[in-house]
Amino acid sequence: MSKIRVDNLSKVYVTGKNIETPALSGITLEIEPREFLAIAGTSGSGKTTLLNLIGSLDAPTAGTIHFGHTEVTGMSKNELAEFRKDHIGFVFQAYNLINTLTALENVEYIMLLQGVAPAERRRRAADLLTRVGLEKYLDHFPNQMSGGQQQRVAVARAIVSEPSVILADEPTANLDSKTSEQLLDLMLELNREKGTTFVFSTHDPMVIGKVARVVNLKDGRIAP
Amino acid sequence: MNTFAKIALRNILRNKRRSLITISAVGIGLGALIFIWSFVEGAHRQMITNYTSYITSPVQVQPAGYQTNPKLERALDNSAALDARIRQNPTVRATSPRIRAEGLIASSEASVGTVILGVHPSREILVSTLNKRIAKGTFLQDGDDQQIIIGKDMATNLNVGLEDKVVFMSQAADGSIASGAYYVKGIVDSGVTEIDKGLAIITFTAADELFVMDGRPSQIAVQLHAVEESTQTAAGLRTALNDPELEVLAWNTVSPILQQWLDYDNTFIWIIVVIVMIVVAIGIMNTVLMGVLERTREFGILLALGTKEGQIIAMVGWESVFLGLIGTAAGLFLGLTSSLYFQETGVDLTIFTDALNAFYMEPVIRPCLNFKYTFLSGVMVLATSVIVSIYPAWTAAKLVPVKAIRSI
Ligand SMILES: Nc1ncnc2c1ncn2[C@@H]1O[C@H](COP(=O)(O)OP(=O)(O)OP(=O)(O)O)[C@@H](O)[C@H]1O
Ligand SMILES: [Mg+2]
Repeated sequence: MSKIRVDNLSKVYVTGKNIETPALSGITLEIEPREFLAIAGTSGSGKTTLLNLIGSLDAPTAGTIHFGHTEVTGMSKNELAEFRKDHIGFVFQAYNLINTLTALENVEYIMLLQGVAPAERRRRAADLLTRVGLEKYLDHFPNQMSGGQQQRVAVARAIVSEPSVILADEPTANLDSKTSEQLLDLMLELNREKGTTFVFSTHDPMVIGKVARVVNLKDGRIAP
Repeated sequence: MNTFAKIALRNILRNKRRSLITISAVGIGLGALIFIWSFVEGAHRQMITNYTSYITSPVQVQPAGYQTNPKLERALDNSAALDARIRQNPTVRATSPRIRAEGLIASSEASVGTVILGVHPSREILVSTLNKRIAKGTFLQDGDDQQIIIGKDMATNLNVGLEDKVVFMSQAADGSIASGAYYVKGIVDSGVTEIDKGLAIITFTAADELFVMDGRPSQIAVQLHAVEESTQTAAGLRTALNDPELEVLAWNTVSPILQQWLDYDNTFIWIIVVIVMIVVAIGIMNTVLMGVLERTREFGILLALGTKEGQIIAMVGWESVFLGLIGTAAGLFLGLTSSLYFQETGVDLTIFTDALNAFYMEPVIRPCLNFKYTFLSGVMVLATSVIVSIYPAWTAAKLVPVKAIRSI
């Protein structure tokens, strides 16, 4: 597990006829291993942009990101795919799962890319789905599960390959408050149990109240 | 099963109707292609069989140079020994020595130019089927040395009927005048203009006497068990006989025009092949591309999870391969069953009889399934379906994860 260092990170989106939208400016941030960190901010403040950059799904306009001693910014597309597979877990807002795979197969997928043996894969995926309370849904396809159940599968999928960090962009946005709270408690438990770093964005006060550290974004900058 | 193949297969099943339409397009295209190829192959075989069962036989053995300059004094010595050696070849079914000449045939009212054949009737009917094309009267029999068979157009032009007398005039092999009178015994209606208008047949004995040939035939017509083996048999006989004084010719050397016509016909089929391939290509490309575009977000997630470009390409490629394979299987089934069914029953084109006759075809055409072309069609369709997947696969692999995930 290694520290994540974000240095002077900026992102400017260029759309249409050279219209520039500065989304992030000069973000500097250190995320310690095992941290449970929320990024808060109003709509348009740059939360998604920051998570995407940390997750190497997009390239910054300026600045660097280090995972331990490894600089992620500047890797090739295939190197990044490799890096994500081994070090980062993702949970998106909704529609996270591969529709043609069952819950079990979705959770197995990253281990498959990593070359984990089939029996081992199945055992770990089934264990984790049981852990998140979905032991009866192993063979269900995403469209046979509720939104909350799908998000739990997504969390299980993110954590199963034991990445150093899990990035979640408004994972509770599409869930009712009770389900949101359950999902958050689950993530907190996994954070404590497995020591996985969690970084997620939210503007849900309930979520913010449960988190040890909150980074506030305002107009693409870290607010004091 | 490989997970990428599994995902591909489930994607095909996910949109059953679209997949089914694509598979049908591929299947019907391939099935039609195989059937057309069998049909044309059958028609061609029939044309060759019919063509080679009238005057030009599958193989002819004649004196060297006869084909370019068929002079009467060019004739075969020791023809009985030669004939025996030709018959030793196992693909040879029957042989018939013929005297062939050109001259003028006249009735009391008119005269026309003609080719005249002198044949042994009992042997000729084993080589040629012209005896089955007698519209009026009967074919010659051995000993009918005063009788003649002529074509129906010639009969009209000369204004003669059965039993009427015609006179044939030409020059004999020794340079003397050859002239003989014969009675019409039969009138041929083959549907082939050059035969119906310009061919007369008398017995070998009559021709031998008329042209002073000393029993020497102009050529030996060779009929085979399988007409497809004409070229190989001609080559085999050429080697076996090993005589520079002889020429051994297969029908397609004697009649390059028919061969050209068949080749032209085959070119036409290739145009159909290209059209079918385009239909297959568009069908599969459409299905796979639509599938990719409506799954943009899913590909984004696959990429975010660490799936590599090559693996995405494999996933999309498998989809095309499966669609192509199922379509090819359906096409083979359709093509084979339709070809085999009509191979038994024949395709009845009686309404086009006159036109068909002129091309040596019969009103009922029996398709002939050709393994080579069937295999080739299947491979081409399968290859096409894989090749067209490159573009959609590339589109999916080149997606940028963030943008893909954003588009719901
Ligand atoms: N692909 C893009 N092209 C152009 N501008 C973009 C793009 N994505 C985001 N932006 C802009 O960048 C800024 C930050 O957007 P971002 O999506 O990071 O905000 P957010 O904090 O996640 O908002 P929300 O809470 O609504 O999800 C916004 O002004 C937005 O309009
Ligand atoms: Mg956002």
